[in-house]
Amino acid sequence: MEDFKSIISECIAGSQKAQAKLYHHFAPKMFGVCLRYAKDATEAEDNLQDGFIKVFANLKSFRQEGSFEGWIRRIMINGSLEKLRKLHLMYPVEDVAIYDSVNVSDDVIAKISADELVKLIQELPPRYRMVFNLYVIEGFSHQEIAQEMSITQGTSKSNLARAREIMKKKVHQLFGEMNAQNNYMA
Amino acid sequence: MNKDKNTDKLFREKLLNYEQQPPAHLLENVLAGTAAARRNRKLVFWRVAGVAAALLLAFVAGWQFNYMKQQTVNQPNIVRQNSSAKAKEENNVVSEKATGSDKIQEAIVARNQFSGTKYSGKSGQMTSRITLPAQMDSRAIRPMEKSNSEPIAASRNEESGALHPLKTVVQPIGSNNQFKHLLEEKKLNRSLDNNQELTLDQQIIQQNQQLLRAQYEPRKKTHWLVGAQVSPAYSVNRSSHSSQYENNMLNSSSQSPVELGGGLSVEYKRGKRWSLQSGVYYSGLGQSSGNTSNSSRSLFANADMGAEFFNAPASIVAGKMMINSSAGVIQMNGIPSGVVLGTNLEDKSLSSAVVLSDASFIQNFQYIEIPLYLRYTILDARFNVELIGGVGSNVLVGNQTFLQTSTGKSLVGKTQDMQGLNYSGTFGLGLKYGLSKRIFLNVEPRIKYFLRSLNSNPAVNYKPYTIGVYTGLSYRF
Repeated sequence: MEDFKSIISECIAGSQKAQAKLYHHFAPKMFGVCLRYAKDATEAEDNLQDGFIKVFANLKSFRQEGSFEGWIRRIMINGSLEKLRKLHLMYPVEDVAIYDSVNVSDDVIAKISADELVKLIQELPPRYRMVFNLYVIEGFSHQEIAQEMSITQGTSKSNLARAREIMKKKVHQLFGEMNAQNNYMA
Repeated sequence: MNKDKNTDKLFREKLLNYEQQPPAHLLENVLAGTAAARRNRKLVFWRVAGVAAALLLAFVAGWQFNYMKQQTVNQPNIVRQNSSAKAKEENNVVSEKATGSDKIQEAIVARNQFSGTKYSGKSGQMTSRITLPAQMDSRAIRPMEKSNSEPIAASRNEESGALHPLKTVVQPIGSNNQFKHLLEEKKLNRSLDNNQELTLDQQIIQQNQQLLRAQYEPRKKTHWLVGAQVSPAYSVNRSSHSSQYENNMLNSSSQSPVELGGGLSVEYKRGKRWSLQSGVYYSGLGQSSGNTSNSSRSLFANADMGAEFFNAPASIVAGKMMINSSAGVIQMNGIPSGVVLGTNLEDKSLSSAVVLSDASFIQNFQYIEIPLYLRYTILDARFNVELIGGVGSNVLVGNQTFLQTSTGKSLVGKTQDMQGLNYSGTFGLGLKYGLSKRIFLNVEPRIKYFLRSLNSNPAVNYKPYTIGVYTGLSYRF
């Protein structure tokens, strides 16, 4: 943290060298975050760019008490949330029971690479993707998600359940069959 | 439920620390964007300060101009009033023989109480020895001597509002040595890669710089807006007069007529904040006078004539009656019907005629204004808020005086010595609501004040201001 203090101070002073240094350190991880929240790489790049401009513009407001990486990550997530709010996407609350439930073994999921999982998440509808990311990956509660997204907790739960089902279905379609084929071949 | 939790855990483990190298050109964009944001923040303070200073300067200049004018009007009058005290008593002017029509003759009624009026019915001429005070005739009034926490902090607060502390996303950061090691390692790797990708990177950077420029270009895009607006204009009387003039002046009424104004506007907008507006506006200005004299010291002013009659002095020159009002000398084409004129009164201080009527005078002035307003957008959203300030040239196109009686309103004359051209200062607030991408609804409360007296009579300093709420539509192209 002490190392970052000096870099942060230089960034606040306007040093582009320090800004580049900070960017190089955090960009790969933050690009990973942005990829999960975006529908494709282009949108993720936009979010990453806007996010870092915000980071540098607001470095003064970072109190250097908590995690710096957590602070930057939060800015990236907020950027995605902001975009989602602007889209004014409205999904009806759906009854999960009407969809066929698919069972996918955890072993199958364990074998799937992170890149492939990110692609699957990107294919989710925007609001489901957001709820899935916030709940499953970031660890938000439904109450927090409801506050952030201005929806009810019930909607958050419903969206999460639907997102899980879609994910499982996609995993089953793409990797479950492949797995079965591999077994057959064996 | 547990199955879901296990699956979630698997996802989380795989994706929480998921990393991918972003394209190299992004850094250039980030640095360029950061530098631009930094410049913008610095400019915000100067923009706001500049607008505030310009508006303040315009307002203070207007008031200062008024104050200087007021001083130059009043000061010499006081001196002359003392020196001409004797002359006032001696200067009894014999009024010219009024060769008016039969209508006028009928209107002139020699009452018993107004002794001294000689009326020859046969010849149709009135020979009266009316003592006209010098101040009553505008020509007799001697001319005056011509001496006539910072925006940056604010934006930061706005941002920090969206950045409330992280509650659940906590990413452990390794020790200092770990970071040093990581940074050095990545630096070494990157320096090798950079040499190989230099030319390709340069091309990408150039492309991105072009894209970035294109992205910022719309901000400087120019727009034209044309619109039409109407407004009720409420006039507030603001005047001062020489003491001689004031002694023989009608009391101005507290009720100012509300006139309708409006016109066409053209606005040229460059960038997001500033715009310049001009156009053509029609505006009416109303002034109403009561039927009592401004001077309570005169005997006639206290005479029990009933509240519905004028107790104000008048002068008659060449068959034209003139009465002092706060906006200037009202010159009537004749003696209006329903008006009773009393002359040769036994009031030494008066030495004049007195008009008796249950009417009030309404003076109307119409102007065509060509404004030049500077507008600054302080809130750029679906509901825009703008500051407006500027000046306007006002050309007098209408000047009427009406006599309002219980039976109706009739045109009786005009106000003398009105300036043909005058300048005004305007400031206000513009509220603009986008009905669509191109059509906007405008509501603009504005105050307009005249920089010079509307009347060129040196004894009159008449500078009213008008308050209006301009409402209309504008079209952007």
